[in-house]
Amino acid sequence: MEMDTNGATTSSAAGGGSTSTSDSSSAAKKNSKKPKYSRFTQQELPACKPILTPGLVVEIVDRYDEGCVPSNYSNDKLAYIQSSRTNKSCTRTLSVPKLMKGPVFIYYQLDNFYQNHRRYVKSRSDKQLRSKAYESETKNCDPEGISPDGPIVPCGLIAWSLFNDTYGFSVKSKMLEVNKKNIAWDSDKENKFGSDVYPKNFQIGGLIGGATLNSSIPLSEQEDLIVWMRTAALPTFRKLYGRIEEDLQANEQITVVIQNNYNTYSFGGKKKLVLSTTSWIGGKNDFLGVAYITVGGLCLFLAVSFILLYVIKPRPLGDPSYLSWNRSPAGNPT
Amino acid sequence: MSSPQHLILHAPSCPSKTNICYFFYKNITFGFTLFWFEANASFSGQPAYNDWYMSCYNVFFTSLPVIALGVFDQDVSARLCLKHPLLYQEGVQNILFSWIRILGWMFNGVLSSIIIFFLTTNLIIGQAFRKDGQVADYAVLGVTMYTCVVWTVNCQMALSINYFTWIQHLFIWGSIALWYIFLVVYGYIPPTLSTTAYKVFVEACAPSIVYWLTTLLVVIATLLPLFSYRAFQIRFRPMEHDKIQRQRSEGSEHDKIQGRRAEGSEHNKIRGRRSEGSEHDVTESTGTRNSTDLPSEIRIRIDNLKAGPRSKNA
Repeated sequence: MEMDTNGATTSSAAGGGSTSTSDSSSAAKKNSKKPKYSRFTQQELPACKPILTPGLVVEIVDRYDEGCVPSNYSNDKLAYIQSSRTNKSCTRTLSVPKLMKGPVFIYYQLDNFYQNHRRYVKSRSDKQLRSKAYESETKNCDPEGISPDGPIVPCGLIAWSLFNDTYGFSVKSKMLEVNKKNIAWDSDKENKFGSDVYPKNFQIGGLIGGATLNSSIPLSEQEDLIVWMRTAALPTFRKLYGRIEEDLQANEQITVVIQNNYNTYSFGGKKKLVLSTTSWIGGKNDFLGVAYITVGGLCLFLAVSFILLYVIKPRPLGDPSYLSWNRSPAGNPT
Repeated sequence: MSSPQHLILHAPSCPSKTNICYFFYKNITFGFTLFWFEANASFSGQPAYNDWYMSCYNVFFTSLPVIALGVFDQDVSARLCLKHPLLYQEGVQNILFSWIRILGWMFNGVLSSIIIFFLTTNLIIGQAFRKDGQVADYAVLGVTMYTCVVWTVNCQMALSINYFTWIQHLFIWGSIALWYIFLVVYGYIPPTLSTTAYKVFVEACAPSIVYWLTTLLVVIATLLPLFSYRAFQIRFRPMEHDKIQRQRSEGSEHDKIQGRRAEGSEHNKIRGRRSEGSEHDVTESTGTRNSTDLPSEIRIRIDNLKAGPRSKNA
């Protein structure tokens, strides 16, 4: 018979009750002073030990529109960017300051680009984007509404100015894969951009404003377009380009091959590449902490001032003699 | 008895004057946020908010508390109005509707709008505002700013109201709740009609912690100026009705202990109060108004008035 000293089976505590067991076990028990085993008494209860670590967000920002123009074109950037014969490839090196745990989000940031201009925001056709049946609904899209070959799909200036720089990442000559799926809002993909709408007559005019689109992919799957068409709030904005699902180790050198296609030179705009991790609260947001501390400090200061004023200049409250008509004639209201 | 009383009660505090100041304030707050946004949109005329948000502002989200203020607010109770008839001077002398007051509310509006715009744009724009790396776009900024405006404007009303019934509570918090409900409902209307508002609250804003933290911070920051001004003013430069409110709240304890006073001694008490300069047992006879002390009070006070200069615009 097993001497399984589980505390639940014997009625008495450690110390060995010899009542309910058979003779052989009770004889063995009389000699042993070992206490009854229980997870509680042996301190083996399942436990967790939380170790608080600060949730760091690591962000790399790299402005590349100046650096990516070859030196022989540095005085005439516009000619460089508008010509189709120049080589737009540019290689930059980014250094990872701290460990960046995946997914690492890749953004492109544009400065001085007014996506919130009224004429720009108006220049789209939601009906056309939604369904093939409304292909010729292009009334708000001029001048990018109709081409000689028929209606432009997707029409309007927003689509026409689609951002077209591309980025390729590698670490120690090993390519990092960029996940470009699910970068747009689900409600946009499912309900604003139709799965039966295909690009047509897009960027075929004389003035090309941005990227071209693959006409065999329906709009609901063209996530770059969907992200771009969700217009930004302010002239400096970031948009999600993709994700790197792996971790990036500290002090790694990431080589980025950029196709510097997008023309921000004609209006003095800037282009920046941003890599950032997120925490439960989002991206790197120093302002949030500073603002809360400032407002909290202000409240504390006001509280202390009122206490001091109350202590230094007390005044019996509820005293009707302070009513102006009860005071001496010189008393005034307020 | 009822109709003279009704007439008398309407005069002293005249909350409609606070109403007008408040109406300026809420529209200035709202309008100036639009203006600051325009400054960032190269003044092209792009509104910061979806059209329907703006149409419903004055109708649904901020109108009910104002109506409640006008109809129900009482800064001093009926009994006390009759007891301190010189409260009416506040209304007669246009103290509550002076230029300084109007400009003060307007300044408060501009200040609120600056705080709202500055804090909202710096907190939400730029980096990702959610764990999934998404950035805030025009629609999200519009919703966040508008939420802050609705909260701020209604909470400022709550700070200004003197007299809270369940109706005021319902209207103020109900207006705020109505905004969220409106967002959800409007967000479910197909995108060809709701354009930028389509599912923006349910999908983008509500799961974002920064959105809620922003609302909280902005509301507190915009309430601070008015709150500290009011606390300072009531404490150190109280107006007549403030003093009486204070007196009422402090003196109500004595009421219960001391009960009714003999009528004859009222007259002497008033004299005594005047000469000694302080009175600790404020008497408020529960229920009936003593008709004998009114004329003497008024007599004394009119003498005071004639003797002392008074400024028209406080």
